[in-house]
Amino acid sequence: MKKIIIEPRSNPFKINFSELYSYRELLSALAYRDLRVRYAQTFIGFLWAFMNPIFSLLILTFVFGIVAKVNLSPGYNGQEIPHLLYTIVGLAGWTYFSEVFAQAGSSIISAQQMVQKIYFPRLVIPLSKAITGLVDLAVNFILITILLIIFGYKPSPNIVFLPLFITIAVLSGLAAGIWMSALTIRYRDFQYITPMLLRIGMFITPISYPSAAVPEQYRMFFYLNPITGIVEGLRWCILGGEALNPYTYISFVIIIILLLLGVLYFNKVEKIMPDII
Amino acid sequence: MSETIIKAENISKLYKLGVAGSGSLYQSLGMGLKSLLKGRTNSASQKDFWALKDINFEIKEGEVVGIVGRNGAGKSTLLKVMSRITKPSTGKIELMGRIASLLEVGTGFHPELTGRENIFLNGSILGMSRVEIRQKFDEIVDFSGIAEFLDTPVKRYSSGMYVRLAFAVAAHLESEILVIDEVLAVGDMEFQKKCLGKMNNVAKSGRTVLFVSHNMGAVKTLCNKGFYLKNGTILMQGHIDDVVDLYLEQSRVSEKIYESGAVSKILTYQDGANIILELDYNCEQELKLPNLGFVLNDRDGNPIMGLNPMMQPNLTEKKGLYPKKGKVRLNISSPKLLDGVYTFSIWFGDKSGNFFWENDCVSIEIIAMTDIIQMYRPAQVGYVVPDCNFEFS
Repeated sequence: MKKIIIEPRSNPFKINFSELYSYRELLSALAYRDLRVRYAQTFIGFLWAFMNPIFSLLILTFVFGIVAKVNLSPGYNGQEIPHLLYTIVGLAGWTYFSEVFAQAGSSIISAQQMVQKIYFPRLVIPLSKAITGLVDLAVNFILITILLIIFGYKPSPNIVFLPLFITIAVLSGLAAGIWMSALTIRYRDFQYITPMLLRIGMFITPISYPSAAVPEQYRMFFYLNPITGIVEGLRWCILGGEALNPYTYISFVIIIILLLLGVLYFNKVEKIMPDII
Repeated sequence: MSETIIKAENISKLYKLGVAGSGSLYQSLGMGLKSLLKGRTNSASQKDFWALKDINFEIKEGEVVGIVGRNGAGKSTLLKVMSRITKPSTGKIELMGRIASLLEVGTGFHPELTGRENIFLNGSILGMSRVEIRQKFDEIVDFSGIAEFLDTPVKRYSSGMYVRLAFAVAAHLESEILVIDEVLAVGDMEFQKKCLGKMNNVAKSGRTVLFVSHNMGAVKTLCNKGFYLKNGTILMQGHIDDVVDLYLEQSRVSEKIYESGAVSKILTYQDGANIILELDYNCEQELKLPNLGFVLNDRDGNPIMGLNPMMQPNLTEKKGLYPKKGKVRLNISSPKLLDGVYTFSIWFGDKSGNFFWENDCVSIEIIAMTDIIQMYRPAQVGYVVPDCNFEFS
C-alpha cells in the first residue's frame, strides 16, 4: 500500500514528477474540456479558431507590409518572401505563447472551486492550458501550409529543425503559463498586468518585421524578449534566409531559466494556494 | 487487531486574519523582494487564528469516524488538511493508502458538457483512472437514474438530476480512506435513502471513513468512533454515542457577559423541546417593568419569531416598582425548530424607554428539538415544524 506523509513544508526544490505523471489523465481531461467547451453554441463553431489568426494576419500585413513598407530580405534560394507568408510564420510562434500566457494566468482563479475541494498537483491546471494551446498552433501551421502552396514558396531545408523550435515554443508557453498562474493567484494585480504585457509583446516581437529593422544599439535588449528567438527561429526553419542571429540563443537560455524558476515559484505558492484564493 | 491507517501528530493550522491572505503586489514590493520571493507577507494588521491546535489521533483500518462540533470548530479544516488540500502549519500525518475526499459533490462539473463527459471529467478530477471509470460507468449511470439524459449538457438538468449524477460519480470512488463532508443533504427523499444505503455499504465494506455532519442521526447510525472538535482541538474521542452525547449537552448553552451597562449577562440554552433565555440586569433606577423583548433570527438574520411582555394582553404586573437589579427568565415553550444555529436580538428597557438593544447578541445551536426525521434543510422547508395530523382514508 502507498504511504503518504503530510507535512507542513517540503523542500521547494523537490518536485514530484511521478505524482504529476500519475495525474496525466486529469491533464488530458481538463484540456479536452477546454476544447470541447470553447466554441459551444457558436454558429460557425471551430471555424472561429481560424478567424482570429486570419484577422491578425491581415491587419499586421496591412500595417507593416503596405503602410510602413518594411523591407524583407530574401529567403531560401533567394526567393522573395511575400509579406503575408512572412507574418503568418511569426504569428504562429507569438499566438501560441500569448494564448498560453493569457489562459494560464487566469486558470487557477477559474478553477478555484476545484482547488479548494480536491487535492491534485496544481501544476496540472496551467499545464492543461499549454496543451490546449497546441490546437491554435496547429491551426497556424495549417494556414502556413496553405499560404506556402498559394505563393508556390519552396520551404527551406532548415525545416528539419522545426521540431526543435516547436519544442522551445512549447517550453516558452509552459514557462509563461506557470509563472503567470502562480503570480496571478498570489497578486491579483497580474489580471491587469497580463493584457498590458501582451499588447506590448505584440509590438516588440518581430512578428511582421525583421529584427534587422531594429537599430543596433537596441538589438541586445530586443533579444531579451524570449519570443523573439522563437519567432525568428521558426521563420528560419520554414522560410530560410540569413543565418540566425547569435542573440537568438540567449532567448532560448532565458526561456529555460524562466521555466525552471517558474516551477520552483509555483511549488512555493502551491502550498498556500487554497488559503489565499 | 487491525492496522493503524491514519496517524496524526501535533497537527495545527494557523490562519492569518486581517488580510485576505494574498497581499497586494504593492505590499510585497514594500516589504522588499525577499517577501515577494518567499511568497508571503507579514503585516502588522494580521491576527493569528489557530483553526486547529495540537490535534493527535490514530485511526485503525475499517473504522468509521464521525467528527462533530459546532460551526467553526475546525471540522472542515481538519478534513482539508487530511485530504491534502491545504498544508498543516505544524505536525505530521501518515496515511497508509489512497485518500479520496468528498468535500462537495459535483466539483469540476462543467455545465456545457454532457452527463457522459462530466462523468469522465469529474471521475478524473476525483482521481479515478479512465479504465476505472469505464468499468464503473454503467453502475454510476444506474445509481444516478439519469440514463436517458446522458447525452444532454448538464446545464439543462434539473438541480436534482445534477446532484444525483454528481453523487453517483463520487460514491463509486475506490480508495482505502474516504473523507466525507455533509453530502447527505442532497436530492429527494428516495435518493437520500439510496445515498445513506450506499454510505452504509461503504462503511460496512471495511474501508476507513471520516464523516463530518451536523445530522446526529446519520452520524450515530454510520459511525462507530467519534471525535468532538471544539475551538480547533479534539475535546473528546471515543465511542460515537458518548461523543455525540457530550456534544449535544455542551452545545446547548450560549452566554454573553457585559462589563458595563444595564444588562450584565445574557444566557440561552436549549432545554429539551424548549428554549430558555435568561437576562441579568443592573440599572440605575428602579423599574416599572423589566421589559425584555426578543427576536429569534435564522443564520442569515431573517426574523423567525419575537415577543415582548407588553404584547401580552393578560400580563400580570407587580404593584409598585421592580428593584434596580434582577433577572428575567423567559421560557419559549416548544418552538419546534429544525436543527441549526439561530441568533437572538435582544431589547431591554422600561415602559418608558430602552436601556439595551443588540442585534444577534447570543446564538443558540438547536439540535434534535423535535422527533421528526430531518430530511430537508430549513432553507428548503422553513424553520418551524408544524403540528400536523395526516389522515388517510
